[in-house]
Amino acid sequence: MATIGPTQVNASARIRSAAPLLALAALAACCALSRARAERLAPTALETGFDIPAFPAEVVRPFSFGLRSFVSDLMFLQAIQVHGGRGTKMVTAHEGARDDRAMNRLLTYATDLDPQFAGAYRFAGNAMPRQTLDGKLTNVLQAEALLAKGARECPDDWHIPFTLGFIESYFLARFEAAGRNFAAAARLPGAPKYVGLLATRTLTQGGDLAFAEQLATAMAEQATEESSQREWEERLLDLRMERQLREIEGAAARYAARTGQQAPSVAALVKAGELSDVPREPHGGRYLLEGGEARSTAKERLRIRGRRGALATLEVQ
Amino acid sequence: MNDVLRVPWLIAGNTVRELVRSKLLHNLLLFAVLLIASSMFVAQLTVGQWDRVILDIGLAAIEVSGVLVAILIGVGLVAGEIERRTVFPILARPVTRGAFLLGRFLGLCAMLAVSVVLMLGVLAGVLRLAGYGVSSSVAIAALLILLELSLMAAAALLFGSFTKPILASAFSLSVFLIGHLLTDLKAFQQRSHSGLAKVFTGVAYRLLPDLELLNVKSLASNELPVPHGLAPAAALYGAAYAAALLVIAVSIFSRRDLK
Repeated sequence: MATIGPTQVNASARIRSAAPLLALAALAACCALSRARAERLAPTALETGFDIPAFPAEVVRPFSFGLRSFVSDLMFLQAIQVHGGRGTKMVTAHEGARDDRAMNRLLTYATDLDPQFAGAYRFAGNAMPRQTLDGKLTNVLQAEALLAKGARECPDDWHIPFTLGFIESYFLARFEAAGRNFAAAARLPGAPKYVGLLATRTLTQGGDLAFAEQLATAMAEQATEESSQREWEERLLDLRMERQLREIEGAAARYAARTGQQAPSVAALVKAGELSDVPREPHGGRYLLEGGEARSTAKERLRIRGRRGALATLEVQ
Repeated sequence: MNDVLRVPWLIAGNTVRELVRSKLLHNLLLFAVLLIASSMFVAQLTVGQWDRVILDIGLAAIEVSGVLVAILIGVGLVAGEIERRTVFPILARPVTRGAFLLGRFLGLCAMLAVSVVLMLGVLAGVLRLAGYGVSSSVAIAALLILLELSLMAAAALLFGSFTKPILASAFSLSVFLIGHLLTDLKAFQQRSHSGLAKVFTGVAYRLLPDLELLNVKSLASNELPVPHGLAPAAALYGAAYAAALLVIAVSIFSRRDLK
């Protein structure tokens, strides 16, 4: 009968102790190989996307169970991911509709859950409006609605009415409403000086000259720095010039209606009795009348372009 | 010291010593601390307002882990002891059931206070690393969370005094969830056309704890001041409600036939 020597016992013990490791290595290799093969054979996954449902705030709010602010942050972070996922590539309105809807709903949830989430409103104003390949502007009205809510809920944050004013003037050409929002932003603490000046310019474009003058007067009175005070006094002169230019244009329109011809000059309007006298240009220049339109030789009129340029033909959806 | 005060005090001390060794408490605290620390990385996903994200995650972690501690450990301190029959040697001594419950409650509240302070410290550290400070609103929010946790601890002791641990945990968790829905319950009552629903929701609204009164986390994360007088009123409400739950718990536990 053969006996087992100490060498054989040692070898057997070594194999036994190495067996689990060998088995583990074999199984790991098997997993890696079979996984690679399964991945090759698996059908291409259909693109699936969870369309975020439009639950009303009354439903969303209770289900955060006291963690409203935290859940609001999660919605906001998700909206940032959606925005980042878009990249810089332009797509059509139809192709980007899901992202637009997701952004709007996520930010609506975020601000419904925490109405004082200023960052979400600011992000909505900057990230939501989108220009598409097929000549449309999407999510503009939705961003406007969110910002209007933000202006109500966060009355101390100047960025929100400012962004709202920008959207109204740049995308929607609603200059009077935009001017009022810029004016509201200008009165808030921390707002830069240019916001007030922009407000008066936009209000002038929108037609509400009286409100623009009221704002400029108030800002000039409140200005603590001499340079700011000078700027506002200068703006008051611009507004006075605008008022006089409008009087001249009104008189020119009446003249044209009465005579069937354009008035050749401002002096002709005075001569014809449409103006009592030639108004004194506040900057020291002169008023000219060209084709029924008045202008000053000293300074350009307060105007704003908005969507009159390249964006003018785009359809707002 | 008078026996009426000494016995609960001793039991509270023992409870603290037990809880210091509790693995469940250690794990929950570790989970919360990791969550708070991770808020620093999550904040980097946002656009501005890092402090808001850190505060929201931090305060939510303090609240959620605290509620889990209050419920899971609170239930174990009475119902668990009854189930394991370890309560009998204690009650065999000259210790009233009321003193036992009060001691357990005080010990648990002390541990909850230590946990909240610890987690608030970690949160303050994370905020500091990100370049922000801790406002008074954050401190008030943490204090009100502690009161909410005390209330939940009292609820866990109440349910644990008459039912099994699993049911007591479920009931306590329900109180937490419903407690944050009471404002909506009131709105439902006002809009409901059913008389029965109005009565039922009206009674529930009056009886259940309104935990939203103790919730100023949104104000803290938005850097808004807590309205003057809200914090003391809410704190008084929370403390009184917890005391009421404890009185009911003592009353039930004193009459319970322990077999």
